[in-house]
Amino acid sequence: MNDQQPILKAEDLSKRYEDGILAVDHLNLNIYPGEVYCLLGANGAGKTTTINLFLNFIPPTTGTCFIKGIDVNRDPLEAKKHVAFVSENVMLYGNFTARQNLDFFAKLGGKADLTKEDYYQVMRRVSLQEKAFDQRVKNFSKGMRQKLGISIAIIKDAPAILLDEPTSGLDPKAATEFLEIMAELKDEGKAILMSTHDIFRAKEIGNRVGIMKEGRLVMERTREELQYEDLVKIYIDYMKSEPLAV
Amino acid sequence: MWTTIVKKELLENILSYRFTLFGLIALILIPTGMYVNQMDYAKRVRDYEEQVRLAAESVSSLKIQDVMAGTVAIKGFRRPAPLSVYTRGLEGALPLYYEFTQDGFQPGESLSGEESILSVQGKVDFVFLVQMVLSLIGLLFASDVIAGEKEAGTLRAMLSNRLPRDAVLTGKVVGGYVALWVPFSVAFLTALLLLILSGAPVFGGDTPARILIVFLAASAFLLAYFTLGTMISTSSAKTRTALVTILLVWAFFQLLIPRVSDMLAGLVHPVRTETQVSLERSLLAGSLALETARELGRQYDLIFGSAPRGTADNLESPERKKWDAVKAEIEERGKEQRARQLGAIDETYRQQKRRRQNLAVGLSIVSPSAAFARFVSDVCGTGELERAKYAEAVLAHSRVLDGALFSKVKRTLMIHPSGHTSLGFSALPVDFKALPQFTITPASLADIFKANWLSLLSLAFWLVAPFAVAYMQFIKYDVR
Repeated sequence: MNDQQPILKAEDLSKRYEDGILAVDHLNLNIYPGEVYCLLGANGAGKTTTINLFLNFIPPTTGTCFIKGIDVNRDPLEAKKHVAFVSENVMLYGNFTARQNLDFFAKLGGKADLTKEDYYQVMRRVSLQEKAFDQRVKNFSKGMRQKLGISIAIIKDAPAILLDEPTSGLDPKAATEFLEIMAELKDEGKAILMSTHDIFRAKEIGNRVGIMKEGRLVMERTREELQYEDLVKIYIDYMKSEPLAV
Repeated sequence: MWTTIVKKELLENILSYRFTLFGLIALILIPTGMYVNQMDYAKRVRDYEEQVRLAAESVSSLKIQDVMAGTVAIKGFRRPAPLSVYTRGLEGALPLYYEFTQDGFQPGESLSGEESILSVQGKVDFVFLVQMVLSLIGLLFASDVIAGEKEAGTLRAMLSNRLPRDAVLTGKVVGGYVALWVPFSVAFLTALLLLILSGAPVFGGDTPARILIVFLAASAFLLAYFTLGTMISTSSAKTRTALVTILLVWAFFQLLIPRVSDMLAGLVHPVRTETQVSLERSLLAGSLALETARELGRQYDLIFGSAPRGTADNLESPERKKWDAVKAEIEERGKEQRARQLGAIDETYRQQKRRRQNLAVGLSIVSPSAAFARFVSDVCGTGELERAKYAEAVLAHSRVLDGALFSKVKRTLMIHPSGHTSLGFSALPVDFKALPQFTITPASLADIFKANWLSLLSLAFWLVAPFAVAYMQFIKYDVR
């Protein structure tokens, strides 16, 4: 158990969409400072819905999300001050340069007084090539866009980071670089919730790994526990198992 | 936060190729269109002045005998509206002049009679460009305001921050609209400068105020279309869907409603042509004149039938005195009857036109485009209000000419029961050079606003309602 207060907390969280699909089913989750929680699961398991609920993009059917103790539904704007978000396909403005994108999202994140050098520093930290700093991002590769997405999260300097399948589609080198940055952020005390299909990297980076199936968190293991277990086998066994009773 | 969104929206638009393209289109089309219209207006004014001069010369050479012969036709010309450079409106359809005779008045030819089929279908003036080109561009600019952000995923990125949704929507609308409005304003000012340099009368009277109103109305119209596009964009998941919807909505409001409303109104309340009415007036006037002539002949025979020869010429004879009284009474009665019956024709025609126009306005007003065109054409003196003022001026001038010219000559026609006719004339002197000129009192701005309250209400509705709907949709939107 952790003595600290969780930065990200889901309490009996459920989401049933209008078409009747139960995307998240009574989820309880606590993620503490300096911890990476990897959420594994097949497509439609409820990983992205969970992240959407934390970001107040959709209202929960039951339960509550907390970010740094703030009820996301009651005070979404205050809660969002403390969270940064990076999605699978990092969403950026193609006609803007890397710095212009960074500047825009930094201002939205409440950092209004940053200098050009501050932006360059962050981009250097994520190993984005110098020549790309002032280039339009529409020509960026996925890896470069992902690095810029992480720069946006870093510059916001929020205690919580939500990552929605961030390594999906990245080449091995880019994915490794990405995980190195994640490790640094973890060491800085950030609480990170990462949804992913990448079992190997989840095991590598996660302090804890959870498997979601049909909206439920069906398994959770710590990094220590996984030293003695085969995560791939556990994952496949859960995926093959019978549908859960409603 | 709000200003950050506005700035981002502006920058994003400025960096896009469509901004450059729109700027070029606006900068080329608006000043060019206005310049061509100014040249056309200058020619029409020259033609008008020449026609007025020739007509005045013709009137000054008239003699009282011409009036007695009943061959006098005086033309009253309408001066082209200076602000027709902004919108031709009804300028081409209104008669260039009316012809006044002792039997009434008839419309002359109109400009559209000389134009090609392509010209009649729409003049490329400022209002046409705003209605047909800029409105579409405005909608296209708005098509990806929200749908584009949804599609690209940037909306998720934005809303993951401490950013109220209303700030996102208003910021994007303001930023997007400013990106549209600035090139439009530059083009408008360039066109105005060109008009000033080419000698257009833009500084007299309330013309500067009217130009400002045209500009503000066009800005409001573009904003209405931009918010309409934003509403469609907000309810669409993809820009492509928004674009298709936008094109359909544009065609509905722009092409269908304004045209169908006039046609429907014409079917529901058919109105005769002005020439039909004018001919009916002439026929009635002729028939009344014959009736009076028969009555005069009958009374004349009754009074003088058994009197000795020469009694009618003896002003002091009792028969002559009786005849003078009876004649005056019959002529007065005839005049009253003529005024009443012709007035009834005019009133019926006016009511028919009013009913049709009210229905057409009511139907078309659902389209912001129709509301904009009606209002601006009235401001520019080429709209329906100008037509009404023209008609009023024609009626008033007809009465004035009756008093100052046609009533100075009395033709007494008598048709006797025996069948033979006699014609007598009496004439008072007329100073033909002092005959009043035909003028139309332009509608004041107060008149224009009063007459266009429904159009202004429609524009206000289209400014507010789509934004309100977009706001409600966006606030409730589930970001997935």
